[in-house]
Amino acid sequence: MSKLAVHDLAVRYGKLTALAEVSFTVAEGERVFISGPNGAGKSSLLSALAGAVRAAHGRIEMDGDILSGLGPEAIARRGLSMVPEGRRIFAGLTVQENLMVGTGMRRDRGAVADDLETVFNAFPILRERARAPAGALSGGQQQMLAISRALMTNPKVILVDEPSLGLAPKVVDEVYDRLTDLQTLRGLTMIIVEQSSARAARVGGRMLLMRSGRIVADGDATGFAARDLLTEAYFGAPT
Amino acid sequence: MSLQLFFDALALGGIYAIAALGIALIFGVMKLVNFAHGQFIACAVFALILPSTDAMAVLGLGRLPALVLVPVMLAFGAGLALLAEALVFRPMRNASPVALMVGSFALGVALQNLLLVLYGGRPKAVSLWAELGHPVQVGPAEVPLLQLIVIAAVLAILLGLAVMLRRTRIGLEMRAAAEDFAMARMLGVRANRVISGAFALSGGLAAVVALVLVAQTGVADVRMGGQIMLVAFIATVVGGMGSLSGAVAAGLGIGAVSALLQAGLPAEARPFRDAFLYGGVILVLLFRPQGLFASAGSKPRV
Repeated sequence: MSKLAVHDLAVRYGKLTALAEVSFTVAEGERVFISGPNGAGKSSLLSALAGAVRAAHGRIEMDGDILSGLGPEAIARRGLSMVPEGRRIFAGLTVQENLMVGTGMRRDRGAVADDLETVFNAFPILRERARAPAGALSGGQQQMLAISRALMTNPKVILVDEPSLGLAPKVVDEVYDRLTDLQTLRGLTMIIVEQSSARAARVGGRMLLMRSGRIVADGDATGFAARDLLTEAYFGAPT
Repeated sequence: MSLQLFFDALALGGIYAIAALGIALIFGVMKLVNFAHGQFIACAVFALILPSTDAMAVLGLGRLPALVLVPVMLAFGAGLALLAEALVFRPMRNASPVALMVGSFALGVALQNLLLVLYGGRPKAVSLWAELGHPVQVGPAEVPLLQLIVIAAVLAILLGLAVMLRRTRIGLEMRAAAEDFAMARMLGVRANRVISGAFALSGGLAAVVALVLVAQTGVADVRMGGQIMLVAFIATVVGGMGSLSGAVAAGLGIGAVSALLQAGLPAEARPFRDAFLYGGVILVLLFRPQGLFASAGSKPRV
C-alpha cells in the first residue's frame, strides 16, 4: 500500500487556482522531488499536504487515513512533518528549544533524548550552539535546525520546501548528504521541492514536474535533466 | 529621590505592568488587542460584592479570608477570560486582527452594560483589607503595608511568569506560537491549548489588578477598567506589541514617570500630569515607532 496518496487535489486562493487535478502516490521510504518553474504550485502542494492551506477539492491519505480537512496540528500528530520554505525557525528561542517545540505531542517521551542525540550527531554545530538564540545561526545552520526540528517530531513522512534556497553550493551538498543519511537511518518517506533538476538527479530519486498547478511529468530524476520535458515545463510545448 | 517616592513609583508601575502583560500575552499568541481587558478587571472588582443597585456595597466573595479569596479571584478572572474566548473569540479565530479588535470592543461594552444592570452606575465604597492601609517604617520612609504587599506580589508574579514561560511545556509552546503560530501548529502545537492558556493567564492577571485597585482606592466603579486599560494598552505599544518584557518595562516606566511627575511638577501644573506623560509617550513613538522592544515575531522574516 502506498504511504501517501493524493487524489484530484485542488487549492484556490480566492479566484486564483494554485493547484488543480493533482494526483499521485508515494511509496513508503521513497524520495520524491518536486520541480517546476516559480508559481507552478510546488509550495501550495506541500502546504496542502501539511494542512497549512485548505484544499478546495480532493483527498489526501496517509496510511489509508484521510488527512484532508484536518488542522495542521492534527496532521503533524499523525506523523507528517514540514520543513517550510524560508525555514521559519523560532528566532527568539534557543536552538534546543526550537528542537523541543515539536516533541510535546509525542507519546514516546523516552525516545526524545535519543532523537536529540541523533540530530546533534548529524549536525554537530547544533550541539555546539544548543543554548544560543536560533536567530544568531547562519542560513545553512538554520536550514539544518529546521530539518532537525521536523525530525524531532518523529515523523513518518517529511516535506522539505527548497532546502537549497539562498545557501552556498557547498552548504547545499552538506544539507543533502545529511538529509539522505537521516532518511536511510529513519526509514523516512521524503518529498522535497527542488528547483534544480541537476541537483535532484545527483541526489537521486523520483521527480514530479509541475507547471501551472498541475503535474506534467513523473519519472526518475536522473532521466529528467537531459529530457525535453523539463524545457517544456518551463517554456511550454513547441507547437 | 526619596525612598517614599521609589515605593510609590514601583507599586504604580507594577500594577501597570501586570495590566499590560494581560494584553501583551493575548496579543502575542493571536494578534488580538483585547480592549475588553479593562472590563475583565471591572467584572473581577464587582465579583467581590453582592449584586444590587444600592449605594452601599455589601461584600460577597470579598468576605472570604485573603488566603481563600486570592485563588478564588484568580479562578474567576481566568474563567471569565476563558468563557470570552470560547463564546466570542473562538468563532472569530480566522478573522482579521481589525475584526478581532472590534469584537473585543463589543464584548467590553456588553460586559460594562451587564455590570450597569446588575450593580447600577454609581461608584460604591468597598472596604477590602482596610487593615493593610497601616503605614510601616522602611528605613527613613513610611510606606503603607499594602504597597509593600503589592510590590512583592508583582515581583512574584513576574518571576513566576518568567519561570513558566522558560521552563514549562506550555510556556515553550506559547513562546513558539507568539513568534510563528502557523509553524508551531505544523509541529503539533494545539492552537486551542495555547490560546486558552494565554486567556486564562490574562484573566488571572486582570483579577490581580482588580484586587489591588479595590484595596488601594476602596471604590468599585463600572468605569474603572477603562482608565487602566488605556495605560496598559499604551504600555504594550511603547514596549513593542507582542513583547512581554517590553510590556513590563514600559508599564513600570509609565508608572514611575507618572509618580515622579506627580511629586516633581509644580502644584499648578499637576492637573496636567497625564499630558506630560503622554507627551513623553508620543516622543518615544516618534523615535521608535515599533516600540522599545520590538518582538522577534514582528520582524520581517527572510
